[in-house]
Amino acid sequence: MSDDTFSQLVDLYYPSLYRFALSLARSEADACDLAQQTFYVWAKKGHALRETAKAKSWLFTTLYREFLRGRRRGDRMTALDTVPEKELEDVTLAPETVASMDGGVVMAALQEVDEIFRAPLSLFYLEDLSYQEIAEALDVPAGTVMSRLSRGKAQLRARLASRSAASPSNVVSFQNSKTKASHG
Amino acid sequence: MDNQEAKFILKAYRPGGADAGLAVFGGALAQAARDPALHDWFEREQARDRAVAAKLKSVPIPAGLRASILAGGKMSAAHRSWWQQPTWLALAASIAILLSTAVAWQLRGPRADLNQLTAQILDDAAHEERHGSHGRAASQLVALVSQSTTKMSAPLPIDLSRLKTDGCRVLNIGGHEVMEVCFERNGGVFHLYVMTRPSRDVPSSPRFAAQNGVHSVMWTDAQHLYVMASDKGDDALKALL
Repeated sequence: MSDDTFSQLVDLYYPSLYRFALSLARSEADACDLAQQTFYVWAKKGHALRETAKAKSWLFTTLYREFLRGRRRGDRMTALDTVPEKELEDVTLAPETVASMDGGVVMAALQEVDEIFRAPLSLFYLEDLSYQEIAEALDVPAGTVMSRLSRGKAQLRARLASRSAASPSNVVSFQNSKTKASHG
Repeated sequence: MDNQEAKFILKAYRPGGADAGLAVFGGALAQAARDPALHDWFEREQARDRAVAAKLKSVPIPAGLRASILAGGKMSAAHRSWWQQPTWLALAASIAILLSTAVAWQLRGPRADLNQLTAQILDDAAHEERHGSHGRAASQLVALVSQSTTKMSAPLPIDLSRLKTDGCRVLNIGGHEVMEVCFERNGGVFHLYVMTRPSRDVPSSPRFAAQNGVHSVMWTDAQHLYVMASDKGDDALKALL
């Protein structure tokens, strides 16, 4: 692979790869390391990929595998596991509320989403891959991606609502008082 | 499809509209167009997704990351082992394919042999745009078949043993030695593969095949079996026969 081709590939995908890595690793240093490692692997093995068009999926897949390989066993975010799913679904959050938040706050909320939902959710919001390509990258069935996106969005909505509630200027509505108490 | 199912599907629809052409969303999108309640829900969901996506994409990239990646990539490529170089990987892959073909050749009949031969030749032609041809005999053959007046289907003055000893590229497919030369004609690159004519089941008329965008035609004369391959299509092959 020529230097030019490699540079083009880096320019096209390193921002999304870094942000995907940041959502997974929850640390800027680890995210940089993951993004670099992914391109190192490409530089060593990417030439074996016949179709350059598949480079995008290959890079996201490789980064995810490198993340799984490097993370400690059992290091899994479970903070929201105890909240019943129905209650998460009931949390509403206005698009305007999200628009008023800082990007770092939204990323921090995403980082709190359970890891099993976080990976497809990050890829969905970065918009580089379709749900089918996300399924291939994460090596799960397409239907599972849809299910995880649905549940991941509910978790993210709850996390964003929780952060927004801490700010008096934002209005977050809950459809029942029980849920409201849970997220107070 | 009820609204609950439509919502489940539409939650996977990217906010930027990149999924507009995906058939899987067609039914749910149509339902959202018909049902006002679902339509309102979808508009709100997309607006929230757009907002989240925009926020995540606004997260700054650390200064120097790009430069580090580029520098690291160059280092990795420079330290690639000789066996990891593309040429050697391609050669290793070809050897593996040829070995597996050799085993298959021993187990199948002559007709299967010719199908395998064609498949392997198409694979070989697809892997390299130009193979190197060496030696005087190979050069003479290349010069002959490159001439616009040469009819490939007419008997060609080919001496396989001379080609082999003179350095022509030789493939061993299923225990058969196949000579190969590359030549240019009519603006395209062609690969000509020649072997001793098998004793039976050879095609009585030119037989065309295609695989992964590479086309081939197989024919015989009294002494030889020929396969010519190119990515220019059947018409380009026919024009040379």
